[in-house]
Amino acid sequence: MKKWLSILLLVSMTASLLAACGSSNSNSAEKEGDDAGAAGAKKVVAWAWDPSFNGAALKIAEDLYKKDHPDFQLEIVDMAKADLEQKLNTNLAAGVKDGLPDIILVNDPNIQKYVTAYPGTFADFKEKVDFTQFSPYKVDALRIEDKIYGVPFDIGVTGMFYRSDYLEEAGYTAEDLENITWDEYIEIGKVVKEKTGKYMATINPNDEALTSILLQSAGSWYITEDNKGNFVDNPAMTETLRVYKAIADSGIAKPVTGWSEFVGSFNAGDVATVVSGVWQIASIMDAQDQSGKWRVAPIPRLEVEGGVNASNEGGSSWFVLEGSANKDLAIDFLAKTIGGSTEFYERFLTENGGVGSFIPAFSSEVYNQEPEFFGGQPIYSDFTRWSTEVPGISLGMYTQEAKDALKNELPNILNGADLTQSLANIQKHFEQQVQ
Amino acid sequence: MGSKWNKSSLMGWQFVLLPSALILLFSFYPMVQSLLLSFQSGKGTVYQYVGLANYVRLFSDPMFKQAVLNTVLYLVVQVPIMLMLGLVIAYFLNMPKLRFKGFYRTAIFLPCVTSLVSYAVLFKSIFAVDGVLNRMLMSIHLIQEPVAWLMDPVWARVVIIAAITWRWTGYNMIFYLSAMQNIDPSVYEAASIDGASKTRQFFSITVPMLKPIILFTAIISTNGTLQLFDEVVNITNGGPGNSTMTISQYIYNLSFVYTPNFGYAATVSYAIVVMVAVLALLQLKVGGEKQ
Repeated sequence: MKKWLSILLLVSMTASLLAACGSSNSNSAEKEGDDAGAAGAKKVVAWAWDPSFNGAALKIAEDLYKKDHPDFQLEIVDMAKADLEQKLNTNLAAGVKDGLPDIILVNDPNIQKYVTAYPGTFADFKEKVDFTQFSPYKVDALRIEDKIYGVPFDIGVTGMFYRSDYLEEAGYTAEDLENITWDEYIEIGKVVKEKTGKYMATINPNDEALTSILLQSAGSWYITEDNKGNFVDNPAMTETLRVYKAIADSGIAKPVTGWSEFVGSFNAGDVATVVSGVWQIASIMDAQDQSGKWRVAPIPRLEVEGGVNASNEGGSSWFVLEGSANKDLAIDFLAKTIGGSTEFYERFLTENGGVGSFIPAFSSEVYNQEPEFFGGQPIYSDFTRWSTEVPGISLGMYTQEAKDALKNELPNILNGADLTQSLANIQKHFEQQVQ
Repeated sequence: MGSKWNKSSLMGWQFVLLPSALILLFSFYPMVQSLLLSFQSGKGTVYQYVGLANYVRLFSDPMFKQAVLNTVLYLVVQVPIMLMLGLVIAYFLNMPKLRFKGFYRTAIFLPCVTSLVSYAVLFKSIFAVDGVLNRMLMSIHLIQEPVAWLMDPVWARVVIIAAITWRWTGYNMIFYLSAMQNIDPSVYEAASIDGASKTRQFFSITVPMLKPIILFTAIISTNGTLQLFDEVVNITNGGPGNSTMTISQYIYNLSFVYTPNFGYAATVSYAIVVMVAVLALLQLKVGGEKQ
């Protein structure tokens, strides 16, 4: 009797286990069928990070799209950026399509990497969106061979945010900060440090934001268009690292070790300037007690051929997965909102302070507002003007590898190693990494 | 045959069958699969068999060498310190005359039940430029300018080592403590009568009797250190430069941060497997008894 009981138990356990394995597939298939049947395939799932910025943008887009398509449904799945990238990579590498959304947010330096590593995974937008209406450098990032993947979204056009009260105390006016070079910036920083005791900037050897801004302002990048290392014999790279070391050596930069310390340094009033992307406005405005004290000037430029007082930091775009069941709907949704609606960009700017790269929106009224926090300066129209001056570059597919190779050598450079030799080391290191 | 498959042995097989199948499926199958993967290379889903090329690349990869160097450094410096500290603390907590034992035991064990990420964030804020430690040192005039602990390659490593030691000492202490309580007090009485000092007793009785436990903690600590990930990622994110990056973080970077090359990432993982196996074998040879 006992024996039979144990066998029965075993069989039932095994069966339930196998059933569990098998049913997960059929379940999801059923679910998809249900959705398609009941809602008439009107539901689109999107993955994004930062619900108060990217998620909010999708909500605005959904709101607009619903006016013409009342039965449209959007589900936004919010997760951390690193989690999202990890999930996307594992799903695609495993060849599993079930778990993926219809729409996904992609950080611009990852675009080429994803498209090359997972061919045929992302949908082509070339015929769906009028790309001449977007800032050219954003479209360049999306163009691979003769296809354009995704819809350009937010931009990271840079500016030099500064505390007008500190600079005034040091004897500088707004004109003194227009069209300066980085060496002039350092000289101003020394005076500011001496007269006010405040640092001019922050520096974090573990963060490549500043080197990226400097490189792009001269139309250069860590890698060439054909994905080779661009360290040796690159005047823009040499000048970038010279300036970087000069800032570190001059004592005008406060060392910070991470993002929260970086933001903390200007919220606490420790630094006089912040060179960063337009999206930094939100963090700067967090310190309500500093209202009226901030202004924005163009960033300093590199003294090399093609060096301008405008650059870019970060930015992202929306992609649609080729294999998604609601591909056409997802494309239509993005194309009609983020890909071509002035109203969307007006609302995105007023509600979330997001600046897009949709040129027709730039002439809109809201871009001319004069926030009191920035002393009535029309900062958005300034930023959009600068965005048209940003040199277009090819981000390639190995940006992260190149940044890490640079990071590895940076302590040596800051300690005074020979720059030519260091650049050769970085190049060699990079080539090792991407073989 | 019939006698071999008697009732009770059949019953035994029934019990182990399911767990064995599960272990095969979820543990051994992935291991074999990742070994196969380590002979392939490419980007994302574009793969091809490359034979031993990944292993050749491993030996000339500066980033891998750096990661191994960092990990080995943590291992050689941190594990002995931690085990020694755990042993000494356990010895004091085991003293019969000590008061508030329960409080001390809880306090020292508490770090290992805190979340990995939250304690890492805590350490990061303590050692920040504006952090508690700098303020303290400046208020007692030990330093003039704040020290950027996490931006100096040497200090950053010291912080990581301090962090792991803080978290895991209590864990090892518990093993030692429970083993010490199993030592018959009469052994110590006999030693005292023979005139052995407390220190002598510690080295000649306690330590030798704890040998199997010390071996065990050494192996699990080695294993844990070779797989170190959370602390480094959360405190320094591998920096400054790549001077605190561990092998596990390198594997993560290869798979999810860089252009994904899962084949090469699998190769690096197998390097850890080999290292753990060799070190465990060595430790068994050195510390183990012939049983």
